[in-house]
Amino acid sequence: MYDLTDVLDFEALESVRPGSNILVSGPAMSGKEDLAMSMLADGAEHGQGSLIVTTGDRAENVLEDFLERAPDADESTVSVVDCRGDGSRRGEATATGSYVYHVSSPGDLTGIGIGITECLEYLHNNGAESGRFALTSLSTMLTYTDRKTVFKFCHVLSSRFDSAGYLGLFTIDSSAHDDQTLQVIKQAFDGMIEIREDEGRREARVLGLAGQPTEWQEF
Amino acid sequence: MTGSETPVVLIVEDEPDVAETYNLWLADDYEVRMAGSGDEGLAELDDEVDVVLLDRMMPGLSGDEVLERIRERGLDCRVAMVTAVEPDFDILEMGFDAYLCKPIRSQQLHETVENLLDRSAYDDLLQEYYSLVEKQATLEATKSSAELADNEEYLELRERVEELESELSDTLGGIDNDEDFIATLRGLGDVEE
Repeated sequence: MYDLTDVLDFEALESVRPGSNILVSGPAMSGKEDLAMSMLADGAEHGQGSLIVTTGDRAENVLEDFLERAPDADESTVSVVDCRGDGSRRGEATATGSYVYHVSSPGDLTGIGIGITECLEYLHNNGAESGRFALTSLSTMLTYTDRKTVFKFCHVLSSRFDSAGYLGLFTIDSSAHDDQTLQVIKQAFDGMIEIREDEGRREARVLGLAGQPTEWQEF
Repeated sequence: MTGSETPVVLIVEDEPDVAETYNLWLADDYEVRMAGSGDEGLAELDDEVDVVLLDRMMPGLSGDEVLERIRERGLDCRVAMVTAVEPDFDILEMGFDAYLCKPIRSQQLHETVENLLDRSAYDDLLQEYYSLVEKQATLEATKSSAELADNEEYLELRERVEELESELSDTLGGIDNDEDFIATLRGLGDVEE
């Protein structure tokens, strides 16, 4: 079971089943990616593997940022799939022992899949028997491909993480899409962490993971 | 794959003895078609074919070229490449769905075909699942929750969506195989209903 309460204190996040996929949804600049990365860093500090798929930031920046959040992490169990590559698909270990895979575009689903496969193998070989996955962000993917493909992509990924026993976190910018698109994408997930900003205060609630939706709570 | 009909397997193999052996193994469970060359193989291909067993090394049109044509034609079939060499990790990059190393045993051939058919079933289910989810989302985005609670069509839809969800997780029981994972992702963009 995965305990996320060190990052976000909700009872529903106390013991999340391995293989769960959670959508982290909120408007722009509301701290969704920050939250997802903190949840990964928390796992890394406890010896779990970390796999990040980034559609926006370069792999080096993502790694640097991540290791600042998780200074005690074993770097050989941290990996990044960077979807802003140079046209080729290639993976390599960094000087400090993390693993980075480059894919040409956020629309290259096969390439992303190969990257995830190689990263999972790398993490496993380095002793990570469980792990957390984050994809930032589905909104970028939706600009490269349609919602039907993104929905199915999420479903296939969730099936893969189910087998691997990983916890998956996917962020989406709720202010960038119409209601129907959000409704469709939501269906591919086991649960959702929703974020909103109210007069400068950030609030979150959890839906779908354990029982009724929770109340909004400041974080 | 279409429901209850017997799945169709096409064997493309230039050595008649080898082709006949595969045929003997598979004929009880599947409708088998045989082609002795790449060109014949392409001629035998249509919507009915579920799985192609494709020999890689053939005189004339090679297996790689046949595979390329199959993908170009956008046919919804699964291709198992039959090779004499052990492939490396880079096979994930190539466009086939499975590979088999010669010599092949009966059980191995059966398992491969069965696995590829399961994967097609997963694709079909996912396709249906998506179209219902899309409908559900349309209703949820346009109607109030009170209206939804009274709407017969919506309630049936939700029930079917839930059924499909569990069918989907039963079909592959979680994709635990790298090849299955990549092949399923590869298929996502191409298949339209």
